[in-house]
Amino acid sequence: METSSSLSFLLTLPLIGVLIAWVMPKAVQRLYAIFGSALFLALTVYETSGLLFAKSADLAKTFVVDQKLSWVPEIGFSLSLRLDSVSAWFVVLNTLVALVAFSLRGVWYRKYPRLFTSFGFFLVFALNAAFLSTDLITFYLAYEAVFIPMIFMVGIWGEKQKAASVLRFFIMSFLGSILMLVSIFYLIYLNHEASGIYSAQITDLIHFAQTQDPVKLCWPFMGFFAAFAIKVPLVPFHGWLKDVYTNAPMPGTIWMSGILSKLGVIGMIRFVLPLFPQTAAMHQGWLVTLAAVSIVYAALLAIRSNDGKSLLAYSSISHLGFVMLGIFSLKSNGITAAILLSVGHTLVSALLFFLYHQVEERQAELSLESPHGLAPLYPVLFVSMFVSVLASVSLPGTLNFGGEFLVLLNAYPVSALCTILSGLGVILGAVYMLKFYQQLGLGSDSQKPKISGVITKDIGAYDLVLVLMLISVIIYGGLQPAMFLKGN
Amino acid sequence: MIDHLDVMMPWVLLSGGILITLLVSVIRVDTKRPAQISAVITLLATLISCLGLLQYPAESVFSGLVEVSPLTHFILALFSAIGILFILGGDRYLNKEGLHLSDYYHLLLILILGASALTCSKDLVVTFISLEVMSLPAYTLTGFRRNDSRSNEAAIKYYILGGAIGAVFLLGTSFMFGATGSTNLNTIFTWSQSGHSDMVLFGMGHLLILIAFMFKVAAAPFHFWKPDVYEGAPTPVTGIMATVVTTAAFVTLVRLIHLVDFNNANWAAYAVTVKHFIRWMAALSLIVGSAVIITQKNLKRMLAYSSISHTGYLLLGVLGSLGKGEEIQSVMIYLFGYTLMTSGIFALMSQSEPKADTGIELIDLTGLMKRSPIQTVLWSIFLFSMAGMPFTVGFFTKYFVFMSSIGSGETPLVVLAALCTVVSAYAYMRPIALMVMRDADPTAANWNSGFWSQIVAVAAAAGVVFLGVMPNAMIQYLKGIPLIH
Repeated sequence: METSSSLSFLLTLPLIGVLIAWVMPKAVQRLYAIFGSALFLALTVYETSGLLFAKSADLAKTFVVDQKLSWVPEIGFSLSLRLDSVSAWFVVLNTLVALVAFSLRGVWYRKYPRLFTSFGFFLVFALNAAFLSTDLITFYLAYEAVFIPMIFMVGIWGEKQKAASVLRFFIMSFLGSILMLVSIFYLIYLNHEASGIYSAQITDLIHFAQTQDPVKLCWPFMGFFAAFAIKVPLVPFHGWLKDVYTNAPMPGTIWMSGILSKLGVIGMIRFVLPLFPQTAAMHQGWLVTLAAVSIVYAALLAIRSNDGKSLLAYSSISHLGFVMLGIFSLKSNGITAAILLSVGHTLVSALLFFLYHQVEERQAELSLESPHGLAPLYPVLFVSMFVSVLASVSLPGTLNFGGEFLVLLNAYPVSALCTILSGLGVILGAVYMLKFYQQLGLGSDSQKPKISGVITKDIGAYDLVLVLMLISVIIYGGLQPAMFLKGN
Repeated sequence: MIDHLDVMMPWVLLSGGILITLLVSVIRVDTKRPAQISAVITLLATLISCLGLLQYPAESVFSGLVEVSPLTHFILALFSAIGILFILGGDRYLNKEGLHLSDYYHLLLILILGASALTCSKDLVVTFISLEVMSLPAYTLTGFRRNDSRSNEAAIKYYILGGAIGAVFLLGTSFMFGATGSTNLNTIFTWSQSGHSDMVLFGMGHLLILIAFMFKVAAAPFHFWKPDVYEGAPTPVTGIMATVVTTAAFVTLVRLIHLVDFNNANWAAYAVTVKHFIRWMAALSLIVGSAVIITQKNLKRMLAYSSISHTGYLLLGVLGSLGKGEEIQSVMIYLFGYTLMTSGIFALMSQSEPKADTGIELIDLTGLMKRSPIQTVLWSIFLFSMAGMPFTVGFFTKYFVFMSSIGSGETPLVVLAALCTVVSAYAYMRPIALMVMRDADPTAANWNSGFWSQIVAVAAAAGVVFLGVMPNAMIQYLKGIPLIH
């Protein structure tokens, strides 16, 4: 396979998608977005198939692609990209999430539809750049570029309290990213002092950081940690999340929970752990505790929510807590498990939000305080929903099970208490997810469900195909987790 | 003097043009068009002759009173370009406000002359004269909306404070003269390279001079005049002050700070004092600028506080440069980028037609996305750039000042600056939120994009984005010209 072409193709094609959105008629924007992203997904899978389906880690290494473009040589800014078995998964997931998000019907295809489609393709571009980058500046730029369409997406198509929530989202994210930026500058400066060259290449900086005192690197570590802890989010930094997830338009929510949160995951794996291995080891105690607290606290919040979207938002924090627990175990097996689990979380949360939107279209008032009993009316929809609920509670045989099991296995030697606490989170997960399904799908016999949505039919053929595709990946991954566990 | 006619050509053209414009405005009192055309031609001629001289080496003229260099030519070219942009872009605004007075144009030219003379002065007396030549038209132009009480108030405030600060500057000059026996900057610098008994007197004089310029660049706590003046002055004048006056005052401030050889062991104690002085000014400006901007409802006052916080970032760059001549480029790059985005923002501001008499409020921006998508995009670009988002020039300007002050061990201050960036980013995002998310308020202003102001705004936005993506040329060029010599 021609090496560097696959990288430029992953970045240029979404940008071409942005441009085409502006020449397509408004009426066919949804069709265009679905076809465009499906085509791009097929091409991405084809291009990365060598990495995704390689029989062994050694074989996968032969497909790794590196590319470096000089940008501002005076200050050592360059665009460095690397496609390896970690980024390949995130790139594919990114496109898949875009396909799911584009498939939703809603106000975004009526009000400024071109803007929506082009924001979507721009997000695909920026996220691909972030997942592929091996240069701190490239990563930072992509990381910021993701915000801009996201902010506008919530701002333009969001629901009631969008203004307050979008500002909070922006401020919290910007706070994290600016602390990260200062840390990046500080590292570049220290490296310049030591070696005389300006470089933000991760390989150069890792080389340099090994020679440094881990205590001295504590502050830059904290800067990076703050950015990613806000992005994921971990519990004390989660204040922005609920409002944004509930007020964002559904595609925005899918993007945020499905793939934007993975920016923090890949940032931790790609940058923080290689750069500050000793510093992270020094702080491992409270990092693991924070992850465990996230899992349990978010699960408790999810149990208390009476709104489907905010329940799913909290469940997302809880599951990402497992991902972070795996990463903070600081073992390569734990990190691999975290990658597996984040693939699972992306698929499951995209699926759940997608299906929840389908339910919302059929029933306008969806409080979880009372049962709605919708399952008999829309059997196909609710069977899919039930399967995804089971996937979300990590039933054995689904992707999440393997991930959570391996994470807990690797976290146990680090902190038995935290692992046990996190194990409790799995049980709490079953509590709120089953409540979610129960209140939506099931109801008492005496009560007939009232229909108040715009759609009265069961889930359509296209949506069903999409759902089945996601479910089959989840189940296949659950039966064959070795595919994701080739190591990095 | 004739020897230096070639390098002084832009100033000769500008001064000649001022006289012609003055004459024209006296002959044709009834209309402003001839004065306007004359002013534009003058500035164009100045711009072209400056661009022709950009490669000339630095040269000392008028027996060392003035030194012209690639930097001063570049700055005058920049000022002329800004002048042209604001004259063309502000035309509609002046008509709307009923300011059909041809005096506007020669006052503007005198302001540009004073500002550019300030950047090339090598003598404290010349500095003072240029400072006044720049300031007097600025006072007058601030009060140009004669029938508006806020404009009058602003002009009086600016005039009294400016006059007082001129006296502070003179006091400093006399202290310096008493200590060194000269007002020539080169002589003073040579004097400072050896130890003396008059160092306290000199230090006091130096600090007084710095205070005078801190007032001019509105570093907190000398910033109180700025919001009122920004609010009271006609919008194009505010734009000129935010760009031309700030740039000229900052370049001179940098030069005056480096009057002392900070690498000299004799001045080690004094260097610490100056560093503390600048550090506190920077921290205060950042905090005041970014904290107060959140509470502002008036757009011009918002931009005034924004410029105060930008002063803080610039002082960070200055701080990073102390004792390291080559690092001063961060200030020049910041000034250039800031000038670009401010010009654009003021071009957009001059397009507003408020319904109430309170000036342009935040609420006037509501629902702009529905009314005019292009304006929304332009506003967003400038506001993102002000907040320092990547892919705009604002990111690189911040990069350079942050790097240069991390390099001189000011990391805590950089962290403070970064936090202030987050706080002020909230204020910059709020207008965008209003434009995109709210429907137009019934009292919101009309936005009528005049041809020229639109061209200015589009050109500035293109520059902001281009330099944010491809800053190589700007960095190379601005790194190539020495700021102090």
